[in-house]
Amino acid sequence: MRKIAVLTVVAFCAAMMFSSLAFSARKTIIKIGINAPLTGDIPKVGEGSKYAAQMWLEDIENAGGLEVGGKKYEVELVIEDNESKAESAVKANTKMITQDDVLAIVGPQSSKQAVPAGEVANKYKTVMISPWSTNPSTTLDRPYVFRGCFLDPFQGPVVANFITEEFGFTKAAVLYDVASDYPKGLAEVFKQAWEDKHGAGSVVAYESFTTKDTDFSSQLTKIVKSGAEVLFTPQYYNEVPLIVSQAKNLGWTGPIVGSDSWGSAETIELCGEDCYGLFFSSHYAAAGAKGATKAFIDRYEKTYGYIPDDVAALTWDALRLAQQAIQDAGKLTGKIEKDREAVRDALAQIKDFDGITGKMTFTEEGDPIKCAVIVRINHQGEYEFYGSSCP
Amino acid sequence: MGILQKFKQMFSTVPMLGWFLGILAAVLIEYFWGYDYISYYLGLPKIPVLFGALIMLKEPVMIPGALAYDLIVYVIPVLAVAKLSCFITNPGAALLEKLPLWLSAVIHLVCFYAILHLWAGINDYRVLVVKLTLVSIILTVSINVINGYQGEFSCSHPGFMALGAYVSSILTLVLFTNDKIFGTALLPPALGPYLFPLVLVVGGAAAAIGSLAVAIPSFRTRGDYLAIISLAFMFIVKSAVENLNIIGGARGMGGQPDLAPLPVIFFWTMLCIWVIHNFVTSILGKALNTVRDDEAAAESMTVKTRKTKMTAFMFGAFWAGVAGGLFAHVLTYINPGMFSINRLAEILAMVYFGGLNSIVGSIVGAVSINVLGEALRPLELFKWIIIPLILIFVMIFRPYGLISFTEINAKKLLEAKHKRQQGVSP
Repeated sequence: MRKIAVLTVVAFCAAMMFSSLAFSARKTIIKIGINAPLTGDIPKVGEGSKYAAQMWLEDIENAGGLEVGGKKYEVELVIEDNESKAESAVKANTKMITQDDVLAIVGPQSSKQAVPAGEVANKYKTVMISPWSTNPSTTLDRPYVFRGCFLDPFQGPVVANFITEEFGFTKAAVLYDVASDYPKGLAEVFKQAWEDKHGAGSVVAYESFTTKDTDFSSQLTKIVKSGAEVLFTPQYYNEVPLIVSQAKNLGWTGPIVGSDSWGSAETIELCGEDCYGLFFSSHYAAAGAKGATKAFIDRYEKTYGYIPDDVAALTWDALRLAQQAIQDAGKLTGKIEKDREAVRDALAQIKDFDGITGKMTFTEEGDPIKCAVIVRINHQGEYEFYGSSCP
Repeated sequence: MGILQKFKQMFSTVPMLGWFLGILAAVLIEYFWGYDYISYYLGLPKIPVLFGALIMLKEPVMIPGALAYDLIVYVIPVLAVAKLSCFITNPGAALLEKLPLWLSAVIHLVCFYAILHLWAGINDYRVLVVKLTLVSIILTVSINVINGYQGEFSCSHPGFMALGAYVSSILTLVLFTNDKIFGTALLPPALGPYLFPLVLVVGGAAAAIGSLAVAIPSFRTRGDYLAIISLAFMFIVKSAVENLNIIGGARGMGGQPDLAPLPVIFFWTMLCIWVIHNFVTSILGKALNTVRDDEAAAESMTVKTRKTKMTAFMFGAFWAGVAGGLFAHVLTYINPGMFSINRLAEILAMVYFGGLNSIVGSIVGAVSINVLGEALRPLELFKWIIIPLILIFVMIFRPYGLISFTEINAKKLLEAKHKRQQGVSP
């Protein structure tokens, strides 16, 4: 008995002595949560978000903190992994809001995590900005949820218009993943927009596959035989190279057009020369960028060794939006619920925000009004600005 | 080893009631002084939510503070109160012993729930973790009926869960909410909490009926064939939901009313454990074990093997459906991707980690995998190296799981310790 008591006391004293932070007062720290897929299906997306966030934090730290209402506050990032799973994203958001007391959350990136996570953020009245989620229901009826990108119903017609004007084609084929939220939604929107333009039946092949499929030859054979002039495939970077190379092997000669999910740095890495000359719609183009966008790209490339993809750029913009909103809120009371509400109100007021992915003004729903960019993969394998389309 | 023996002996006189009292003391200390005093003086930003595991892995500087917090708030009060209150808790336990066992068990469970509620209520993140852990317990215990007691290797549990989740979600959306897809509510939303049990049962029944699709064709054979057919069933359910645009397809279905607070889930978990415990210790349960050990011999000893297997399979599927319904209403969002191969891996990991043929084992497995998964969250990628490694070691050293082939003995668990001292004749 005595031995145990003595041991406990000794252990306790030792713990107290080594605890350098003991007896230090609590101060108001601005915490920003990052909810990103660091592991799981699309780790590159999570990595881009994390790196962009770290760059943003560096800027703030160099400035000696974030100035709100004439007072400088220390800023801290809380980066949580959502494993690319919906329930994990919900857990991460709940943890950041109730445990870490974050002022605002940036993320999750994909819609299948952003939709349920947005519910949590809205329930606890905490601002959440999803940089990359294009599903309308992410922000629908949720006053506390915002996004940094345009929506699928906007992007689909943009691509359809571009193909029509650029090539003058009338017959299109679509290949998409039926089991994944984003490609499926965008494929439907594109089909609708294309048929509105060229009449019913102008989408001559509408083929689908399931997530993690790697052999698309049967679908592509049908597409090649269908007499389509252009192939639209709104897939992620892990599938695009397979689709493109298999299509070429099966005798596809027309252009292949994609959407903003192509914009990852990995696409060209995995695809190589097969992808040169193809087009996709996106949020920004890295090659030939100017001003702040160029400064961001150069700095990112210097630090992390590759050109940032659109996720990184959008995350950067989302963080800067959050920063702007916090500063616009005027002052921090230290009472987290009140501050969150003030930040939300300030964010909804922001007009003509000058982001590196374009100018943004939020609608009632928390969706930005911004332009889409058509990007061409040039023969150096860079993403080059080709044209833009504004609402 | 000596110290451990002594330690064990010292606390051998503490009955379950004493431990509850100790934990209650710890939770009360945390509740009243945790934030303002203890964590403040230890330099912690907030009450460490999962015994400090998260904060320790994220910021090593905090390790001493978090450990000291655990010691002050949990270890010392629990041990001290449990030991010192022996003189009152032992007679109390002896008194409860005179009651019928079920009543005594219910009283203990109510006490346990009260403590859990208080503990989890300190932080909403804890509530969510506890909720999802309880749902995992239902899943694990129910798959144990098939994979443990029946000795088959079924892979269709995520499919059953999906059936339960979708059926119950559709019901609550149709009945109690003004939804975009299904229109206005058919019943007043205030009825929701009262009819929710019925909704869950319907979800479970749907899963049980779905399980016939696996059971009928596959139970003529054994082993690998069932694994393959059940795996196919899981993918069929997933693909079917993905292609049904009316219920959201791959986009998923959201907006379920929040009908699953902690007490509801706790109640269903306990009900599930109790029912399954009775099931596997009944004659049918024994018959199930004989079928597992030697089907031909069982058949010759008048066990109706086919009927036994079907019943057990449907029974397991029913509880998976209930778990799915609860899961959908905890997250208030479901999509078919949730009920895929990842979920299967998680369920199988829980049941094989905890132990086959044992309800306690299933509970241990579900709780440890869930808590481990949350506690190691800050490690990001390394989490997916550490958890499988632990699983591998368990498989090497205890091939049937941590606690296999043992059952709960409620009477022994709840009895008063050290009877002779209390004057109760042995």
